[in-house]
Amino acid sequence: MNVWLRRYAALVRSAWLVDLQYRAAIAIWMLWNVTEPAIALGIWWSIASQGAVQGFGRDDFARYFFGVALVNQLTLAWDAWYIDRWVRDGEMNFRLARPIGPVHEAIADNIAYKARTASVVLVVWMLVALAWPVVRLPFAPGRWALFALAVALAAAIRFLNGYATGLLAFWTTRATALMELQFGISLFLSGRLAPLALLPPAVASVAGVLWFPYVLSFPVEVLTGGVVTHQQYVRGFLGQVCWLAV
Amino acid sequence: MSVRRVLRALWRVNVVEELQYRANFLASLLGTLFWIAMALLTLALFFRHTARLGGWDYWEVVVLLGVFNALTGVIEAVLRPGIGELVDEVRSGKLDLILTRPVDAQLYVSFRRLDLWRFADVALGLALAGYAVVRLGRVPSPLDLLAFAVTLGSAVALVYAIWVALMSLAFWFVAVENLSVLFDAVYEAARYPVSAYPGALRFVFVYLVPIAWTTTIPASALTGRLAPAAALGAAGVAALALALTRLLWRAALRRYTSAGG
Repeated sequence: MNVWLRRYAALVRSAWLVDLQYRAAIAIWMLWNVTEPAIALGIWWSIASQGAVQGFGRDDFARYFFGVALVNQLTLAWDAWYIDRWVRDGEMNFRLARPIGPVHEAIADNIAYKARTASVVLVVWMLVALAWPVVRLPFAPGRWALFALAVALAAAIRFLNGYATGLLAFWTTRATALMELQFGISLFLSGRLAPLALLPPAVASVAGVLWFPYVLSFPVEVLTGGVVTHQQYVRGFLGQVCWLAV
Repeated sequence: MSVRRVLRALWRVNVVEELQYRANFLASLLGTLFWIAMALLTLALFFRHTARLGGWDYWEVVVLLGVFNALTGVIEAVLRPGIGELVDEVRSGKLDLILTRPVDAQLYVSFRRLDLWRFADVALGLALAGYAVVRLGRVPSPLDLLAFAVTLGSAVALVYAIWVALMSLAFWFVAVENLSVLFDAVYEAARYPVSAYPGALRFVFVYLVPIAWTTTIPASALTGRLAPAAALGAAGVAALALALTRLLWRAALRRYTSAGG
């Protein structure tokens, strides 16, 4: 155990320093991640100008999409693209030759990257909240703890999914196309465009059995207070654990 | 030697090369169709809860989506493979090779390479816009069509100007390898009519990052929301943007010191 802690500390540290070199590029990627929820918020904001949409008022949309931006940043999984490139250009060879498996490096990269970017999103959120009371969240440590757990599970699901899809690159050259496909579908099913409650009920129920809502909309709603009953909590976490097992 | 002849020769080689990879055409076409379908579903979702988006009804926004897709086609076919490579070349010093050639560097860098298959996106986008106009039950007058042609041409020029301006930044910020992502991020906003955004954003998209001119205005011309004379305004904006980016390009080149400089 101790050995692994030391190994991970070293890996995370080195990933952190590498990211530091690329901070401008990372800032641009972050902007890219934030614009999508921002645009969706802009559109819903104007739709909700005539009154609440199925119980979602302007303020609810604002809180929801701030949550989407944060959770998305925390659960991003880009490993499929890296693996795809490494397999194609041969960099995989020397990565496999290292004394520690590539998956550990990938996990460490994820930890370092997310710690850096998510903290920026959080700080921005807090600054915005100072000026714009709408996006302030009620103080609820219990809920935040559950949120942290939900995000950790979501990140794990997305990471394993991305990593496994990336490994397909050993057999096919179109592994990233599969990720694109998921990315497109997740626009709707994971709640990136709209809270799931606003989807047609049939679509939302299909989403319920897939992994999409558990990686984004569930953690967001835990944070913003959309998840209220114990039953919903149990369902959400159960869904997460099942998909993690897959 | 005129830059036109050089480019024509380059394009010929380019076409021959691309024809060898015909399977890519199918992949690129499927990809585009998939994303158009996603975009239409997105609109369907929005319009489940509202009858109008920024004062536009469903088919009007689809016209705009068609224009948006046509423009992304131009970007993917011409700009990304051409001037999009600039950042890398500034960093590695490969730009030296281009600057020593006896042709205009900006034109050469911009139009040296075409991603042929992506032109299909332009056709698809325009077809989508055309279909939506038919569904609107509106027959555009010849004057409307003329205004559409002018505003669409201005839109292409404007998008080009934005790319040149953005890529010129590479001369100042060498470390930023993904400048084009910055464009992608902001350009997503051009999918919807600019009137659908809150006031502050609208100001940004019209005056600061003028992407409103690239999709909202041509689509307005086609749906008859735009007085045809306003097309001249769009052409003026595009001409101004081209002139400004030319100046910026010159200033940027003066800063170029090759690799390690």
